[in-house]
Amino acid sequence: MRISKQARRDAKVLFRACFVNDLLDHARVRDVVQKVVAAKPRGYIGILSHFERLVKLELDRRSARVESAVPLGADLQTGVRASLGRLYGPGLAFDFQQNAALIGGMRVKVGSDVYDGSIKARLNALVESF
Amino acid sequence: MSNILQEIEAQIAGVKTATAKQNVGIVREAGDGVARIEGLTDAMLNEMLDFGNGVMGIALNLEETEVGAIILGDFTSISEGHEVRTTGKVLQVPAGKALLGRVVDTLGRPLDGKGPIRNEAFYPVEKIAPGIIKRRSVNQPVQTGIMAIDAMIPIGRGQRELIIGDRSTGKTTLGIDTIISNAHLNKAAEAEGDRAYRPLYSIYVAVGQKQSNIARVISVLEEAGALPYTIIVVASASDSATNQYLAPFAGCAMGEWFMDNGMDALIIYDDLSKHAVAYRQVSLVLKRPSGREAYPGDVFYLHSRLLERAARLSDKEGNGSLTALPIIETQLGDVSAYIPTNVISITDGQIYLETDLFYQGVRPAISVGLSVSRVGSAAQIKAMKQVAGRIKGELAQFRELAAFAQFGSDLDAATQAKLERGKRIVEVFKQNQYNPIAVENQVVVLWSVQNGYMDDVPVEKVKDFQAKFVDALAMRKAELLARIVKEKALSDTSAADLKAAVTEFKQTYR
Repeated sequence: MRISKQARRDAKVLFRACFVNDLLDHARVRDVVQKVVAAKPRGYIGILSHFERLVKLELDRRSARVESAVPLGADLQTGVRASLGRLYGPGLAFDFQQNAALIGGMRVKVGSDVYDGSIKARLNALVESF
Repeated sequence: MSNILQEIEAQIAGVKTATAKQNVGIVREAGDGVARIEGLTDAMLNEMLDFGNGVMGIALNLEETEVGAIILGDFTSISEGHEVRTTGKVLQVPAGKALLGRVVDTLGRPLDGKGPIRNEAFYPVEKIAPGIIKRRSVNQPVQTGIMAIDAMIPIGRGQRELIIGDRSTGKTTLGIDTIISNAHLNKAAEAEGDRAYRPLYSIYVAVGQKQSNIARVISVLEEAGALPYTIIVVASASDSATNQYLAPFAGCAMGEWFMDNGMDALIIYDDLSKHAVAYRQVSLVLKRPSGREAYPGDVFYLHSRLLERAARLSDKEGNGSLTALPIIETQLGDVSAYIPTNVISITDGQIYLETDLFYQGVRPAISVGLSVSRVGSAAQIKAMKQVAGRIKGELAQFRELAAFAQFGSDLDAATQAKLERGKRIVEVFKQNQYNPIAVENQVVVLWSVQNGYMDDVPVEKVKDFQAKFVDALAMRKAELLARIVKEKALSDTSAADLKAAVTEFKQTYR
């Protein structure tokens, strides 16, 4: 679907209005969607589509996906949360997952930053170096 | 056996054990050699992106929510959801003397089957042109071996001279002739052990051309013995638009290596019209706003930043130079079209080739009126200045009088003389392709025509007279030719000897 420039601009204004203390306020997001659906302004489908995309990108940016070969213990999870909190600030959404393909170690993805300390990544690096 | 183990251990030790931070993105859209990637928040403009499996790309569009990248190599394997990484490097191509005599693609990979290239260095494809402090004025000639150019539109080392004309008017031939001429000069200087001579290395960049044409150029250069002094960069019509867009910049980077290392290089971009079309395609697929004729707004900057990299560096910077001969193809002689006017305004002059002249048999079909070199006689040796000073004016006058003379038959003696002289000058400037003329031969021929020694030779026999005269001089007066080369000027003694030689020759000429 082609989204007009005006719809993009409107979506961006609404998106900015959803921030409280530099963090996306989920309640405001829901409120915005409900109000736009109710008011049906011109190009509201485009506005909502772009708004959704901006919210998705923001959620991706503020989400930390932690993968490990074996499940992490509670203390280790707390340590990871604290370390990433120091680097990226508060408000990160954590998702701890088990991935046996990593063989060992941990892979952390926050937004578009990746910290790969897994055995699989090191083996891949070794293969490339040959 | 132990060596192998040591090597493996060294490789393992070399692999970083610390966890490094990487910046990744996900392909959202891919097609036509470009990809739109979500993420990659740390990507820099023109940074190389790693698509995995050896496929690389370049970040060209940095937008608020995504990055637009061009893909180098096989883009058919890239699909939505593909992970992409930043590399922190800009695109580089191999550079150095090892590339001479080779045919390479846009990324400097060999295409000629002559094995890997052991290059001395890598040079960035995009680089800021040398500033004004680093430069000096152009004062050394590029001997093209084409008499009409060397006499009337001289090109200097470090100059940018546009070759412009319709299809099939001999644009590529001018470039190839220049490469061959300089290869002959390089070879002669090598044979004589002349250390004072600065060899001129050539780079020929083929953009969007038919593979058959490129193969023909390679075989011509090979036959003329010019390939060992030439690098050929190929982005043919079957290559992707991204490769065609990058090829001139890659060739320029290879040329810059020579310039930065105190050597002289010549680069021919064949041609920038197709380059602009390739860039338009890339820009449209990247959804950049389009302007006139659907070209993006920065198509002028595309060519200006490329051609600004041609320069003559000061002694302090090594005295190297990069001369650029861009080629532009016009449609039906329209030099006022968008891309031709852009490139005309960027370059230091143009050589305009006319279709009418070409079909009249005037080859090279250089239009004297529309061709100009803004460097002028600063890029000529003194001997050439002495003989060619008035010739452009005389030829222009001839063209005007010839047009005027069509309307009346009664002409005074002075006008008749000018017309006759003009016809002989036109004949003298006719030249076969791939047959460059040495500068000393050009000087003696032009001196003869200037001083009226060809006035009594029938027009249809001027070429014959010229060829036999040059042969006779080479056989009997080689010392005179050598003196002109050595002194680079026509002294009174040389002029007197030349007068004697031409008088003697005319007595025996049939």
